[in-house]
This record gives sequence, structure tokens and C-alpha cells, in this order.
Amino acid sequence: MITVGIIANPASGKDIRRLVAHGSVFDNDEKVSIVRRVLLGLEAVGVERVWIMPDSFGIGLKALHTLKLEIDVSILDMRRTFSQEDSRLAAQQMVDNGARCLVTLGGDGTNRIVAKASRDVPLMPISTGTNNVFPNMIEASIAGLAVGLVACGYAGEAVHHAPQIDVIQPEASQDGRQPEVSDIALVDAAVYAERFIASRAIWDASKIRDVVLTRAEPGNIGLSSIGGHLLGGDYQPDQGVYLKVEPGNHGTRVVAPIGPGLIRAVNVTDHRLLSPGDEVIINHAEPCVLALDGEREIQIKPGSTLRLRLNANGPQVIDAHKAIELAAKAGFFIQPPEKDED
Amino acid sequence: MDINHDKLLWMYKTMRSIRAFEDQLHTDFAAGKIPGFVHLYAGEEAVATGVCANLTDRDYITSTHRGHGHCIAKGVDIKEMMAEIHGKATGACKGKGGSMHIADVNKGMLGANGIVGGGPPLACGAGLTAKLKGTDQVTVCFFGDGASNQGTTMEGLNLAGVWKLPVIFVCENNGYAETTSPQYSVSGQDIAARARGFGMPSVAIDGLDVLAIHEAVREAVSRARRGDGPTFIEAQTYRYYGHFEGDTVKYRDKDEEEQYRSRDCLLRFRGVVLEHGLLTQAELDAIDADVKKTIAEAVAFADSSPLPDTKEILTDVYVSFPEKEMWPFQAAPA
Repeated sequence: MITVGIIANPASGKDIRRLVAHGSVFDNDEKVSIVRRVLLGLEAVGVERVWIMPDSFGIGLKALHTLKLEIDVSILDMRRTFSQEDSRLAAQQMVDNGARCLVTLGGDGTNRIVAKASRDVPLMPISTGTNNVFPNMIEASIAGLAVGLVACGYAGEAVHHAPQIDVIQPEASQDGRQPEVSDIALVDAAVYAERFIASRAIWDASKIRDVVLTRAEPGNIGLSSIGGHLLGGDYQPDQGVYLKVEPGNHGTRVVAPIGPGLIRAVNVTDHRLLSPGDEVIINHAEPCVLALDGEREIQIKPGSTLRLRLNANGPQVIDAHKAIELAAKAGFFIQPPEKDED
Repeated sequence: MDINHDKLLWMYKTMRSIRAFEDQLHTDFAAGKIPGFVHLYAGEEAVATGVCANLTDRDYITSTHRGHGHCIAKGVDIKEMMAEIHGKATGACKGKGGSMHIADVNKGMLGANGIVGGGPPLACGAGLTAKLKGTDQVTVCFFGDGASNQGTTMEGLNLAGVWKLPVIFVCENNGYAETTSPQYSVSGQDIAARARGFGMPSVAIDGLDVLAIHEAVREAVSRARRGDGPTFIEAQTYRYYGHFEGDTVKYRDKDEEEQYRSRDCLLRFRGVVLEHGLLTQAELDAIDADVKKTIAEAVAFADSSPLPDTKEILTDVYVSFPEKEMWPFQAAPA
């Protein structure tokens, strides 16, 4: 059966950046509405089965309430942890059981979790988070149609690999084996001069240190905007960017929107373009945390080392507009005229 | 966010004290030693601790029927709390309030409250007082997911929003209003988003992480002190025991309980501070021993204290009794 999975994060769009910055609160009822539109889009192009991740808010259940569908839609029967780990477990189970595409509702952080388990199954990330560079601000009906087209085999060329940053902690290796990738980031990995993970988000420009970006298009929000404003788009599509940021007034002062409403100047004292496979070594004397896609995730002990590597073969992602374009050019949306009753 | 050594010790001691206090009551209630009802806060310690770590004795809190943790975190004397719950004359309210009415105004603890949704109007009153007097005092209003449906809560949010009061609304969403999940009781189940409609910043925070709560409330307190108005925080947490002692907890499954217990606030805190050398094993063990002794002393104090004199039953009320010429005791008009 042609199957698609939907992972809607009920926690996205509600973190502390609504308090320390000016982030929008993303209502879970709006996520319900988005899931409905996705389902209708999927059904319209021939998807046969959909699994939806269970969550504490019941986004999937609410979406199905009163919605009349012909396709087989069910809430995924899975072991739950009642934490962000549920998104990864759901993705893994969906992929293991043959889902052809995954639709995600969340921000950069949600997609990072899902991408850890998506392997070669394409993602259709719909933005419902705070700093959104990886997911698209896209109408959910369009996203549903595009995912359905890819899942049904009509638009395979609309799928591409996104880059990612591999986090490698030498200390995490055991028995002298090669250190493994312990985590990933899809857009940015940043050293942040803060001792605790606590509420996760980052917003204080004076605490930003090393930054590695997979992309730096002008017009992005979050840490990616620092690279975007520094380089003005002057880099190759497969390249990443390393920025050395230090407090004080030396270096190049770059003004950038590091968060919603947080337009700050940071001092970039060094930078270089990264090619796939290039690594950045992180080592600081002060206690720091590593923030991945805008969320503090890993505490770094003073003096310890970790490596950040640009990897061109990150998750597969659907270009929704291209998928629609391909199908339209093939005449997919053109129906024969209805027969007259007489 | 810099948290000094003393504050880290205080956080651990406070969470450990609440846990030990509640575990003791769980045992003593089952043994028939506690009069009346008790609603235990075990599992939710990170919320009260992370919030009150940002407050001083001059700041106020309003509490709930599940108020022991709030009391301890705000500095109410543990011996007096234990005596109060045992209904003894040495209690925080002379043994006449019991578990659901512990108060200590000197510590800014305006009272536990048996009325679900009773706190928000009181918090607005305290907030309005601070605003009119021009002080920088902050009031924190604790309430639960059940109370989030109450009219009093909506009115409180509205007043605080309209008057830009220095009030922080902390919704302790422990997943169950008595025995009912928000899935069945909270329409538009997104409590944090619902609060946004009252025109104040609203966030949802991991309520099992004392450092996350501390960081969010620190920002909310700063907003309130500088006159920027109220904030809403949904702390997503979990209670380990039933709604009340005696609740057989048939409405949630063991797997769910185990998942939440695996993220226990005390275990997580210990892990962070030990791994990064912020506190030592010896310091934490010393606190554990000290708390154990404190709770044992509190129980002994409660056990050895007298019951209130029956003459006290009509004192410490708003109007002294019998007060002549006061309704309903005044003579009917001729």
C-alpha cells in the first residue's frame, strides 16, 4: 500500500522565545487544521494509507473527527515516551514499516529529530515552529498534494538531499573504535557560552561562539542569517559556512535577526567556507553547550573536544512546488470532460 | 544563566524536602495517621522549586489543593506544616486549616486553596496591591490543568492582562484534572495557546526540569518587576501519586508512569550537577541525610503537639464570633 506518515509536534512553537523574544505562539488547533488539509491532499492524488504519530494533544484524532476520507488513516500504534523522543521513534517505526514519505509539522528542531530516523524516506517539512529555515511556510493542501505525488511515484525528481552537520564526540567512542556520529543538525550548530541546557532555546547574541551552517541564504532567520548577511549569498550551493564569533568590538560586526524580533550585532572574527566532509574542531576552556538548530542539546565540558562535519547526504526533502510542476507538466491534474447525462 | 553554588544546593534541598515530605505523608495517610484529605505533590517538585528560586519573601504566591510543595519552596516551616496537616495546635494555622489551607503571610505564602481556580483572583488582588503601592513585588499564581477551565481563572487572566499586573500564572499541567485527562476536559486543549488570547506572553516548559523552569520564570519575574505585565507559563509535569491519597489510579497505565519517572526531576538534577562538577556526591548525600532528619523531627513534633483547644474554633476568622448586630445574628427588624 502506498503509505505516508505524519509527525506533528504538539510542543513546537511554544518555547521560551515567546518570552525572551517575540516568537508567535503556534496553536495546536491550527496544527489539526494543517493535518486535515494534508490528508485531503494525500487522498486526492492516490495515497492509500496514512499513519499519524500519537501525541498528548491528540492532533491526529482531532484531525480525523468529522473528516470524511476514503483512505485508510490510523494513529500509529507505538511505544511512547511522552517526550521529543516520540518523534524519532515514530519516524523510525513508519520508515521500518514502509512509509514512502514523512510529513512533519514543526520547526528546525522537530525536523532534526525526525531526520535522525528518516534515512532515505523523503520529508515534507511544514513550518509550525519558531526559527524556520529547514521547513517551508507552505499551504498544507499543496504540501499534501506534493507528498502524495512523490509517494505515488509521479514526482521522484522533486526530491533532493539536504545537507546536515554531523556531531562527533571523541569521548563518546568506546573500545578504541572510530567515534560515531552522536547527533546531527540540519541548519546550524553553535557553541553557546552557557552552562545549562535548561529551557533549550538560545537568544543571547553575546554568548554565541563557533557557528557551523549548512546554508546561509540571505533572508533566513536564526543563526543562519549571520552567514547570510556576511556573505550575501556568495558561496556554492553545496558549501557550508564556519563563523568564529567573539564578544567585544573587534572583527566584522554583522547585524542579523538571530531570533524572532531579535536583530542583533555579532562580531565575526573569522570565517571560512566548508566543503562536504570538512570538519570544525570545537574546544573551549569555558563551560559551554552545543546548540543544534537553535536548541541547546549537548553540554560541553571545559577543555573537551568535539568535531562538527559538513555532510552533503543529509535527509531527503521534497520540493513541493517542483513536485506540483512536474505533475502539472505531465498533465496529471487534467481530467477528461464529464459526460453529458443525456 | 548563572546559578551559584548556594542556589544549586538550595534547589536540590528544596526538591528533596518536598519529595521526602510527601513520601512521609503517603505512608502516614495509609496508616491512618492523617485527618482529612491530602493531595501529594511528589513528581512536580521542579515546578515549585524552579519558580520560587526567583522569588523573595516579599513576593507572593497563591496555591492549590496540592500545595505542600509550594509551601516548602516558599519557605514555610516544615515542622509547622507537618503539625498543621496533623491538625495540631502548633501548626502553621494552629491546626485549623489542614493540608488544603496552609498559609504563612510572612513568607508571602497566601494560602493553599481547596477551591479549584480559587487562586487567580487572589493573585490579581496581590498584584494590584503591588502595582498601586508602586512596589516591585511579584505574585505567582499556581493552578492546574483542571483550574484552567474555571471561570475564575479566565477572569483572573483577563484582569491581569487589562491592568498589566505583575502576576505570573503558572499552570501545572500534570495531565489529569482529578482523574480526567485534558483530552476529555479541556476544549482547545492547548492551554498555553489559550492564554495567548488574553494578551500576554505564553510559553510551555518542561516542568520536570528545574533549570528550565527557573530560566523561564526568571524572565517572567524580570518582566513583572519592570512593569511589563503578566506572563503565562504552562509547566508540563506529572504527579506520582493519585489525585488524593486513597485514589486507586485506574485512569492511567503503568508504562506512562514509568516513562515519566524515568525523567524524574531529582535524578536529572543530580546527573547534571555531578557530571559537570558543580556539586559533589558528598554534598548531595549530606542534604539527603539532613532532609531525612528534618522530616523525622517534623513528624515527632507533630505527634507530640497538642490538638487545638475547642475554644479556638471560633477565633482567627474574619469576624470575631459572636459579634452582636451582625448578620445572621442580629435581631430581625420589628
